[in-house]
This record gives sequence, structure tokens and C-alpha cells, in this order.
Amino acid sequence: MTADDWLAALSAELRRRRIDPAGPVGEAAAHLRDGGQDPLEAFGPPAAYALAVVAGLRDATPRPRGPSGEPRLRATGITKRYGRRTVLNGVDLSVHAGEVVAMIGANGSGKSTMLRICAGLLSPDSGHVRLGGTVGYCPQNGGTSDFLTPDEHFVLVGAGRGVGRTEARARGRSMAAALDWADAPRAGQSRHLSGGTRQKLNLILGRLGDPDVLLLDEPYQGFDNGTYLDFWQQVWHWRDAGKAIVVVTHLLNELDRVDTVLDLTPGRAR
Amino acid sequence: MKKTLVVAEMALREISRRRGVLILLALLPLAFYYSRRGEAYWQSVRFVSLGIGWTLSTAALFAGSAARGIEPRLRIAGYATHQLYLGRLAALWTVGLTLALPYYLLILVDLDGKVRNDAIALILVLTVAVAPPLGLAVAALLPRELEGMLVLLTIVAMQMMLDPEKTAAQALPFWFTREIGTYAVESGAGADHVGRGLAHAGATLVVFLAVVALATTLRLRRRSHISMA
Amino acid sequence: MDRRTQWLRGVLDLCVLGALARGESYGYEIAQRLEAGGLGVIAGGTLYPALLRLERLGLVVADWRTGASGPARKYYRLSDDGAATLRSAGADWAVFVGNVNAIMEVP
Repeated sequence: MTADDWLAALSAELRRRRIDPAGPVGEAAAHLRDGGQDPLEAFGPPAAYALAVVAGLRDATPRPRGPSGEPRLRATGITKRYGRRTVLNGVDLSVHAGEVVAMIGANGSGKSTMLRICAGLLSPDSGHVRLGGTVGYCPQNGGTSDFLTPDEHFVLVGAGRGVGRTEARARGRSMAAALDWADAPRAGQSRHLSGGTRQKLNLILGRLGDPDVLLLDEPYQGFDNGTYLDFWQQVWHWRDAGKAIVVVTHLLNELDRVDTVLDLTPGRAR
Repeated sequence: MKKTLVVAEMALREISRRRGVLILLALLPLAFYYSRRGEAYWQSVRFVSLGIGWTLSTAALFAGSAARGIEPRLRIAGYATHQLYLGRLAALWTVGLTLALPYYLLILVDLDGKVRNDAIALILVLTVAVAPPLGLAVAALLPRELEGMLVLLTIVAMQMMLDPEKTAAQALPFWFTREIGTYAVESGAGADHVGRGLAHAGATLVVFLAVVALATTLRLRRRSHISMA
Repeated sequence: MDRRTQWLRGVLDLCVLGALARGESYGYEIAQRLEAGGLGVIAGGTLYPALLRLERLGLVVADWRTGASGPARKYYRLSDDGAATLRSAGADWAVFVGNVNAIMEVP
């Protein structure tokens, strides 16, 4: 790998993690010039070095973030049984504006069920959900129409939210670009998209129309590593914009940056 | 109204991309027509309208089944349930009329003078009216397309095999095609056939529309455990 | 070699402070000082993250300087905290090494 290629890749990786690349790339460039070494020998792969830089820069103490005002989503005492099996037993969940809640738990612990109940797609056996604003939902898969193009999806969902055609297309396309999907406007019918790309569409449709509460059920299925990082960057971005977000996730790397973790594994403290 | 139109537009786009369905829609009724063309021509009229009814209701079945995946999301996005199924019906009715027109012209030219043209037009219009609600009703009640297709196949087969004189035959959705058809092809037939046919078609339409409305509204209902702050 | 890498991992940041005690410097030159001191080649991938950590902890202070020839370089120097840390950690290290030597001595 040439030094220029390596430095360009490093720059991209740092940018993806919202780190200004100028300093680290400048220093690395100077080091390579002085020493004349192969960049992979001196620094390792660009992605790994970027991680090391981030680790060096990251503030170790988490920001204390108190809940602000009334929760946008308050679920109380949610219980759901399927036959004899109790999937959810009196679960409570509160999410405020500008807060990210990660919902974790083993397979079958009811994460998707809980999210669907909060979205209003499923009725619990008991319990109540109070919503303070519009809701957007992104299921693990599905939620798209095989024979429509992404643009057509944007218009369709946008119209429901009262967003005009051109505006809906523009918003959908810009969200696609933020998820590293620049040629969404030129894409054909969604049945021809790869699984990961289709999930990007799914995520965008959940967010279209700027709902106040976002319920995301492992929406990153099939995302490559870069897009996965882009997705979380978007989540922090939406949090800063005051959205209340619930993300169901198996993957634990981002947990130190979310505000609250709700563990649905039976027996764990809530 | 605007939202319903957007649903209709997208449903039309979807159907137009399903090449297989479109070819079937276009050509299957033709096969039905010519299957009886040699013998009594009046059978051709009945069979072609059954062909149109069957393929259009099958197209509606596919459209309804395919929409299940996205409908919950559309509800969350702010559509009312009636906008969803009315939009889809509007698209299917449009497709049906576009399909029926060439067949009307075919019958006009092919059976010129032998049939009452206005009655033929009425049969085709009523068939196009009834078929999509039938297909969507089957889709709403049966989640899987295969079972739905078998139901429609059974209906069409029974429609062809059951003696129309039997009272039981009136339970079948396209019975009115035979009734009005009698008026269309028999010079001696009275206009009361038309009246009975219209009544049957009207009742069938209302029943299937009600099934679609009820089943869809139930499936996509606003749940009682949610309240807005 | 692996053992050596592990030892180095534990004291690299102190060694960097030590190298800077001899005067301010920039990345590549710090690496050369460490190599000249017998620590072997320090990869850039290891050195710069360590410098970033030291900077974040306030033990070194950095500033960019435009050179007479070539592009800007980031220069590092010990802060007062850094100098103090070097002295006290250095003392702890000496005690530690002494104990390790004593245990490892073959009787």
C-alpha cells in the first residue's frame, strides 16, 4: 500500500469516527517521510491505527446526562405471554428527548416483542404505553416493498407524514448518503438490492418525517463495518437533535456511549 | 384524498413491474375466450369474463399479500387504514378497466350483431368491479398466497361447473355474468335478467368490500394500550 | 521478543516522558531517541497513540510548528505534571525492578 493510499484511508476512518483527521494524518505523514518505512509496518492497517488514535483521544469519563422533562416514551408494566411462555414480565421503559436506550438480552428474551408493543403493532397482555410525539419504527427486516424503488418508498412513506414528494425524496437521499449509500437515487426495485442495502432503506424509512421517538430493532443487519459505524454516528447525531431513541442490540461495543441499558434477560435487574 | 392517491400510484407502479402477472392478465382471458369460440359463441362471452375475473382477483391477491409487509409501517407513518385499501382498490380497478377495454372491442368486432353490446359492457364493468375486492378479501383472510390462489381457483372452477340454475350457484361471486349474459346473447330474454344480475353484483361487491374493510381495519387497528401524551 | 514487547508496553509512556526530559522533540525524533537508548524500533502505530494519551492526561504539552523546510510538525515537551510524574514513577520503577531482580536471582 502506498503511503498516500494509506494516509487517505486513515483520513476516511478518522472522519467516520467524527475525529478531525488533520492532526493524526499530518503527524503520520511526517513520520513516514522521515523514516521512509512502509506504512503498514510502521503503523499497521489504517482502521486499526484509527482505533488506537480514538482510544488515545477519547474522554474516559462518560458524560453525565440527566433525563430532561417528561419522557417521550413511557412503557409501564408490559407483560406478554405466548401460550405458557411469559416473554415479558412487567417491563418498564422510559426514554426522554435526547436520550439513547440500548435494549439488550439473549435471543428470545422479548426485545423485538417489546419494541413492537411500544410501536403499537402488538398488544400486550397488560401494561400501558404513553407516547409524547410521533413514532418511527425499523424492524429487523422486511418493511419494504419488493417492486418499488427507494425513491418511490421515500415518497410513499413521506406522504403519510405529510411531507411533499420532492422534499421526501431529498430527505431520503441525504439519509442514504449518510449511511454510505450514495447511489440510492439510481437504484432499481428494492428486490434487487443486497440485504444490507435493503436494511439501509428500512432504517431510512423508519426515520423519514423526523419522528420524535425512534424504535430501532437491530437495524444494522447486513451492514458492513463502515456503515455500522456510520449508523451509530447517526444515532448520536439524532440524540443531539433531541430524539428519543431505543436500539435493540446484541453487539455490546457501543454500550458505554448510550445513556441507559435495559437488559431483558430474565432474572437480571432491570 | 391525496394520501389515497399516493397509495394508488405506488400500487399501480408495483403491478406494472410484475411482468408475469401482467402477461397472465392480458392473455389468460384470451385463452378462455377462444376455448369456447368454436362452439356456442355465447359461452365465449361468459368464459372471457370469468377469465378476467379470475386473473384480476389473483392480481389483487398478490398485491394484497405483498402489501402486508409494509402496511404496519405506513400506519405508523400516518396513513388511515381505509386510505390503504381504497388506494389499492383504485389501482386494481384502473388496471382492470384498462384490461377489459381491448376485450370489449374484441367481442364487439368478433361477435358483431350477435350480442347486445351494452349488456356486454355491463358484464365486463361489473366483473372488473367485483374481482379486486374478492382478491383483497381472500388476501386479508388468508396470509399465504398459495392458499389464496387455491381458493380463487376453486371459485372459478365451481363457477364453470355448477349449473347456474341451482340456487347454490348464486353464492358464487360471478354468477351475475351468466345472468346478464343471458340477456346479452338471447334475443328473447327479458330485461329482468339484468336487474337480477345487477342486484347480485351489487350485493357481492358490498360483501367483499366489507370483508376487506373489516379484516384490514382489525389487523392494523390502533391498539388500546397506547395513549398519546 | 514477545516478552520484551510486553515489558515495553508497561513502561513506554514513562520512556517517552524520559526521552522528552532531554528536551522537546517531535514524533519521529522521539522514536529515534528511544531506539538509540536500546529499546528497539518503536512503531508509529504504538508511539503516536501513547503521545495522544500523555497529551490528554496533561503530562506533555504539544504545539504545531511550521518548519523552515517542509510541512508543519507537532512538537512535544514535558509539562510540570509530566516532569513530576516522571520523577515519582521513575522511583517506583526502580524499586520494582530491584525486587524483580532479587526474585529472579538464581541462588
